[in-house]
Parts: sequence; C-alpha cells; structure tokens
Amino acid sequence: MLEPVRSAAASDPLLTVRNLSKSYPVTRSGLLRKKIVGTIDAVKEVSFSVHAGETLSIVGESGCGKTTTARSILNLVAPTSGEIQYQGRDVVKTFATGGREDALALRRQMQYVFQDPYLSLNPRWSVRQILREPLRIHRRGEPATWDDQIEHLLARVGLPASYADRYPHEFSGGQRQRIGIARALAVEPRLLICDEPVSSLDVSVRAQILNLLADLQDDLGLSYLYISHDLGSVRFLSRRVAVMYLGTIVEIGDVDAIFDRPRHHYTAALLSAIPVPDPTRVATAKGVRGEAPSVTERPRGCPFHTRCPAALPVCRDEMPALVPSDPDHKLACHNPR
Amino acid sequence: MSDSSSLNASVLPDDAAVLARHKPKGIWRQGCERFLHSRTGMLGLVLVALVVAVAVFGPFLAPFDPHDQSAMLDPGAKAPPSWVHPLGTDRMAYDVASRVIYGAPTALIVGLGAMSIAAFVGVVVGGIAGYRGGLTDEIIMRATDFFLVIPVFVVILAVVRLLSSMVVNTPLESIPYLNLGTIIVLIGIFGWAPIARMTRAEFLRLKNQEFIEAARCIGATTGDILFRHILPNALPSLIVMVALGIGGAILSEAMIGFLGFGDPKAVSWGQLLFFNYESLKVAPWASLAPGAAIFVTVLGFNLLADGLSDAFNPRSGR
Repeated sequence: MLEPVRSAAASDPLLTVRNLSKSYPVTRSGLLRKKIVGTIDAVKEVSFSVHAGETLSIVGESGCGKTTTARSILNLVAPTSGEIQYQGRDVVKTFATGGREDALALRRQMQYVFQDPYLSLNPRWSVRQILREPLRIHRRGEPATWDDQIEHLLARVGLPASYADRYPHEFSGGQRQRIGIARALAVEPRLLICDEPVSSLDVSVRAQILNLLADLQDDLGLSYLYISHDLGSVRFLSRRVAVMYLGTIVEIGDVDAIFDRPRHHYTAALLSAIPVPDPTRVATAKGVRGEAPSVTERPRGCPFHTRCPAALPVCRDEMPALVPSDPDHKLACHNPR
Repeated sequence: MSDSSSLNASVLPDDAAVLARHKPKGIWRQGCERFLHSRTGMLGLVLVALVVAVAVFGPFLAPFDPHDQSAMLDPGAKAPPSWVHPLGTDRMAYDVASRVIYGAPTALIVGLGAMSIAAFVGVVVGGIAGYRGGLTDEIIMRATDFFLVIPVFVVILAVVRLLSSMVVNTPLESIPYLNLGTIIVLIGIFGWAPIARMTRAEFLRLKNQEFIEAARCIGATTGDILFRHILPNALPSLIVMVALGIGGAILSEAMIGFLGFGDPKAVSWGQLLFFNYESLKVAPWASLAPGAAIFVTVLGFNLLADGLSDAFNPRSGR
C-alpha cells in the first residue's frame, strides 16, 4: 500500500482521464428503422487526474455531465472516445476487451458509491447477502471468514454487527448509504467514486456521512472522486475541484483558490448561489441569467457565452481551451475575471 | 378519555418488547405474512389444498374404481344419490363421486404440467427479450404477439384430432395418456405469451435499476445479475401469473374434454360433462358434480392468485 500522498504534483496520478467524451445519438423513429438525427454530447473532451490519497470534486448543475463522467470510469456507460488510465492500465480497453480477471482486478482498485441508497441496494437481500456478494465475487478469503469480514465492514462504517441480518427497507437513508459504502469498501479499493452520496439524504445526516468519508480517507488512505452540486460538502471534503458546465470542465484547481477567487464567470455565479445561513443578510446572489442551454443545442464557441456577463465576440466563435492560469489551476475562458 | 390514555400507557412497554424481539423480515417473509392475513388468498389456498388433498388421497376416498360399471345391474344407470352412490350414477352407470375424485389428479397434472411448460418458455423468452433489448426484443415480442392472437382452441382441437388418427398402427399408440400429454403440451405452448410479456416488462424495469448497476460495479457476471438479482425480484408477479394460469389451463382442458376431444383413457371433469350433458334433465347430479369440481378448483386458483398479488404487490392498489 502506498502512503497517502498529499503533495499531488510530486507523484504519478492514480487515475488519469484524458479527452473523455460521451455522446448519445438522438434518434427519430422512421418508417422502418430509427434515424440518427444528431448527437448529444453529454461529456466533451474532459481531462483530469486523481492522485493517491486526495479528493477531486466535480461540481456543476444538473445535466452538466458530471455523473456521466463518473459512470464511464467504471464502464457503467461506455465512453465514446478518450482515454482512462489507472496507474498505467488502460481502463476502457480492460473493461471492453480484457479478461474477466483483469476487469476484476481493476474493480478491486476502484469502487462506486451510488447517489440514491434507496435504489442501490437489492430490496430482497439482507445486509449480509449484500456485503457477501463482493467477497464471493472477488474470492476474498475463505468463505468461513466472510461473516467476520462483514462484521468488520459494518464496524468500519459505524453500524452494529446485529444489523447484518436486516433488510434495506428497515434502514434510514443514512444507514443505507453506510451499507452502500461498506459494500464498496469490501474489496479494499484505493479509489472511491462517490456520485452525489449525500444529495438524497436529510441535511441532518449529510454531515455524518461526510465525516465518515473523511475518516475513511484518513484511516485507509483512500482517494475520492467526489461528484456533487453541494459546494459546501465539496469544500469540506476535497483539496481540488473541477467545475463542469455543459459537458466540459471550465475550471479546475485548488479548492480554496477557486472558492476564494474564482476566475471563470460560471464558477463565480455558482459560488454566489451558495446560501448563507444568516437571516439578517439580504440575498445578493447574482446568479446567472436564464437557463442552461439544452445539450442538444450546445452553443458554438464557449458553452457559457449565452449567459456570461463578460462575453466577448470571440467567445461566440471559439471554444476556449483549458489552459493553466496559475500553477495547479486551469481555466477555460477568453476573458477571465 | 382517561381510559384510552391508560390503555396507551399499558401498550407502550409491549411495543418496546416487540421492537426488542424484532426479527428481521425479508420481503418474502413479509409477503407471506400479508398473504396469511388476506381473506381471499386464504380461501383460495383452502380450496386448492382441498383439491390437492382429494387428488392425493383419492384412491382411499373413492368408494368405487373409476372404471367400475357394475352399478348397471343394481341401482342402474342415472340412479339418484344414495348411501352406496353418494352422488348417484351417470349415464354409463359409473359412480359419479368416484369419477369426480379421480378427475382431481388429472386436473392438477394438466394445470401444473401446462403451466410449468408455459412458465419455463415464457420466462426464458421474456427474460432474453427484456434483458437484451433492441432488435432481439423487437423480434421476440412480435413472435409473442403472434402466439397471443392464434385461436388456441381451434389449433389444439385440430392437432389432437390429427394426432389421434396419425398414431393408429404406430408404436406411439402404446404410449399411455398420449392424448392428455398432447393437450398439456399444447396448452403450455400456447400459454407462455402472457408470461413472456410480464417477464419482459419486469426485466426491463429491473435491469436499469441502480442496485443492478451496483452489482455490475462489483463485478457480478451476467448470470449473477439475471438469476441472483433480477429474477428473484421479478418472481412475485410471475408467481401470481402462474397461479392464475393454472386455473386457466384446467378450464381449457375441461373445455377440450367437453367438446369430446379429451383423452378417452383419462378421467377428466370436462369429459364427464361431455358424457352426461345430454341427460342433464334426467340425471342432473352427473353433470353438476364435475361442474362444481371445475368451479371450485378454478375459483381456488384464481383467489390464490388474487391473494398472492395483494401480498406481494401491496402498493398496486385496491
């Protein structure tokens, strides 16, 4: 096991995503067969990397492609193009054409925590059965030791061992999410992809789950790819953040730098929308004008220029590239703040 | 008012005790409990159990052999019920009670046999269609539609008639109950389409659920996903359909028998009706008894299906 590495630049990244794109065909059913009339670019040319022991957050509004990005890493959706590497191993190729053992080996490195704990647990299985499944598939130890391992996993996520024989519908959302995390931890992964793990939970239990994630990171040296639209949790959990808009990353870098001084106008608008828990304060959120354009009619040029307060003529024609603006900070904007 | 508050106070510790003794309940267990509390379901279960008991213990219960026509001499044919012949005798002097009792195993074999075939074919075909989707789904479902619109009875009657004349003077002739077997297979073959549709719908619903994706994430094989995750979740609705289908299959066989296309060697309720309907006015007991047996059996399976449906799909309404 590698020691958790906090200085990201020093080491090779755990996970590298390069120019990842996912597009869906738009079909219209014709007389005999479906005609493809266009494509939706859910994710377009996204690149980032996650280092050992660190958390990279991806934020953005609904439909900006953050979940699609996360899902394509574990091949829940097959990416259209682009490259995903886990410690030099080609993830896309391994899942598409590699052997089962290779795929399982990758799955032992990366696991997924789902958004909705009410949907992600098989309703007919007890907790024991749910947690036994990864142990069985990955042949982790003798079957006789599985019960001990399950007990250990439950303790890891803060649940008593007596819960093992209960069924998902007997638990609260927070407890279910703990079970989901325990299932992901069963194969002792190094990278957890957390797809909005707290957004379907009550506010009161969000903090507990976030603390659990933070504790697990400290204890096990886990890396997280944390997907969220909840900026507060992003700042709490992560060291770096990527801001996505309409399928592209518009700004990526150190979380404190971006939160304190956003360079991209979309990031600024997103941050100004964070509610401040102070009743005497008058809301000053400037927000953004209008709705995000539909992904089917993605604007030419910068995807944000239709709503940007500082759009230049060039923004309408030319897509800005994601280029370093500071060390450890990349930006895709022609006219940054 | 004071009564109710003291009552509440006395109830609370009990509740706590219940919670402490809380036994984990799977959805199966919960469904069973709901089923035990459903009146229609339990009535259906009792009726079905009655039929099964009659089928199993029939040889010990029946006063006469089903092929015993000796009553021709003593009370004669079409004799009204008496102590010796509790349900009377029919046109050919068979003991009606014995014939009805020996009809029960036939009915159950037809129902279970036909529905096993239908369920197997239906689940496999519907499962493939639902899980694979796309063009496979399209082709399979059009074939299913084809099986749904075929006039089943015409086909079954034609096949039974053709087959029974074709096997004459061939070794096939010696196969016991060939005719009955043919009927069972045909009812099964033409009965899978609704089950396939239901299976497809359930597989479509389940295959994109997050817990299936979670299983895929862990590395479950397609077999794991199909047989350990999707099928058990689809099973309750399928069991309801099969229970309903058993009643339907028994009714179909009775109709075929009533039209005179049944197996001459088997004792079947439909055939008893066929033999006796002409003497309905003279000896109504000979027609009413098998009719009542069919009614009770089919009603039993339908109520059972109803109860199961309420128990396993509690949100589906009422």
